Amino acid sequence: MKRGLSAMIALAALFVSANAYSALNQEMNGLIEKFQKEAGIKAFSAEDGKKFFATKRMHSKGEERSCSTCHTADPRQKGKTVVGKVIEPMAQSMNKERFTDPKKVEKWLKRNCEWVLERECTPKEKGDFILYMTTI
Amino acid sequence: MKTNRIRKTMIAVVLGFALVAGTNAYADGDDSTHDHGNHHASYNAVENHAYTQECSACHYLYLPGLLPARSWEALIKGSDKHFGENLALDEKTSAEILGFLKSNSAEKTNTEWSMKIMKSVGSSTPERIMDVPWIIKEHRKVKNAFKRPSVGSASNCGACHTRGHEGDFDTVKVPK
Repeated sequence: MKRGLSAMIALAALFVSANAYSALNQEMNGLIEKFQKEAGIKAFSAEDGKKFFATKRMHSKGEERSCSTCHTADPRQKGKTVVGKVIEPMAQSMNKERFTDPKKVEKWLKRNCEWVLERECTPKEKGDFILYMTTI
Repeated sequence: MKTNRIRKTMIAVVLGFALVAGTNAYADGDDSTHDHGNHHASYNAVENHAYTQECSACHYLYLPGLLPARSWEALIKGSDKHFGENLALDEKTSAEILGFLKSNSAEKTNTEWSMKIMKSVGSSTPERIMDVPWIIKEHRKVKNAFKRPSVGSASNCGACHTRGHEGDFDTVKVPK
């Protein structure tokens, strides 16, 4: 009995440590699970998300683009849109409203992945990105 | 009653012209505030949650009365290629935004400004407010200010039209 309990505690501890999305609400965790299933992986990487955020890619319009073009190199800072409008920080630590509404998150990923990458992002890219934005 | 209103409008228009002529220096003057005093020319402030959410995250929230309905139709229809961006609007949101824009478009607002805009665009369908000939003409003397970092671009109306969000485009303050 005692053994069973400690095994359960160990399992629970393992689950908590593996679940890096404790900052996310239930709906957002649902979105992450969806991305995990689609990507066929168990966990996303904030480190990969950080690289993804900073990587500059040559756009067919002949200019380099990255997430940081508008959001600056540090997502905890305010950014600026291409026409100069201020963007509130992307990092959840600076802006509690970020990454709370899956519908909004998916729409913005679609909008901005196309602007930067000229394609939709892969489920892994999306998961890594969200993990980076909610842990920095 | 109607004649009286027309007369009043005419006086306002003439006064407006006189004021514009008299304060033409504002175009080159940098930081003085100018109120043309002709508030007939302004718009009523209108608002729609979806429009604000979807559009103002990226750019100035243009008043619907600045373009004819057919322009807004073209913009929403082409929202997957909106000046190089896919706005990823779902059908319900698109319909709501277009409904709002059309019911407050230049044809519907009936102000001095919207009438000038409608006359100026003729049968064309401008997709930028800065493609409206009358608006281009009104800005001919401040063209250089658009490039200033404090302004950003010609699409950032609020940089100079500090009360534009309230529908008042007569108050102008060009930042340095």
